[in-house]
Amino acid sequence: MSDAHKKFVSLMNKVLDEEATKEEQRLLDAHIADCSSCRVHFHELRQSADLLNRLVHPQAPLNFTKNVLDKLPADNRHAVRNWVSRHPLYAAMAICALPMSLMMIAARRQTVYRDKNGNGQFILLKMPENRS
Amino acid sequence: MEQKEKRLIRRVKKGDHQAFAELVDRYKNSVFAICLRMVGNRQEAEDLSQETFIRAYKHIDQFDNDRNFSTWLFRIATNLSIDSLRRKKPSVSLDAELPGAEGLALKELLSGGETMPDEQIVRAEMEKIIQHEISLLPEKYRSAVILKYIEDLSLKEISEIMGIPVGTVKTRIHRGREMLRKHMAAFRGEK
Repeated sequence: MSDAHKKFVSLMNKVLDEEATKEEQRLLDAHIADCSSCRVHFHELRQSADLLNRLVHPQAPLNFTKNVLDKLPADNRHAVRNWVSRHPLYAAMAICALPMSLMMIAARRQTVYRDKNGNGQFILLKMPENRS
Repeated sequence: MEQKEKRLIRRVKKGDHQAFAELVDRYKNSVFAICLRMVGNRQEAEDLSQETFIRAYKHIDQFDNDRNFSTWLFRIATNLSIDSLRRKKPSVSLDAELPGAEGLALKELLSGGETMPDEQIVRAEMEKIIQHEISLLPEKYRSAVILKYIEDLSLKEISEIMGIPVGTVKTRIHRGREMLRKHMAAFRGEK
């Protein structure tokens, strides 16, 4: 391949990459009008690019997304929610147990205070007498 | 679109499978196309595409949300395809001789002959031949050509996916195109 030919081949590539200036495009057009080997070369290069462009874009197989999701590590984000939906009875018991235990603790404390005070008043409710 | 994708990725980073399913739906055809054109075999391409998404999910923490997700994903897909090609070189199916009828269809097409066979048959056969020709390209030219012509990506995007300068991408595409031209010319010569 001569140097001149090489120069035109790189020009052809520029044109095919849509990066050639108008001037370069004109230069190539003028040359291939005269030079049959470059004309053939350019035609063949363009044809290769066209064939690639015409290749169909394939579709991913059916159920592809589902198959991928099945293989992912478990989604731990909804661990609590999942447990609740699997064990509704335990969940209800757990939810009721919390206020009930609070009530029991509160009741117990009331008894203790009442015992200490002796006249049925809560110590906690007693206001300070002298406020400055 | 861009913003929606960033939101989806933030959800995926928290482990949201549903958000990931949306990303898979969005990119599955592109990823499958890259893998299929790289390895030339549907079953293998499906396995590689699945592996691409599973890796993306597992390493989503390493993905910087200021960057382009498709670039990152396509990089995983091309790397996995290249690894797979290297593992099982030389491939049996790709080196198989082309039946004569297929060569005939291509000649028909290249010469733009009058006696065009059934459009669909030509299309299917042409597809096989071009796939075969792509498979003959060295892998570094192959991935550049596929990203440009099958995915229609810009040279800059290809350079980011492949982790090489734009100038090198150009050289690889030019060489790939030149090799294809020579193969096609051989077909023409047999006429």
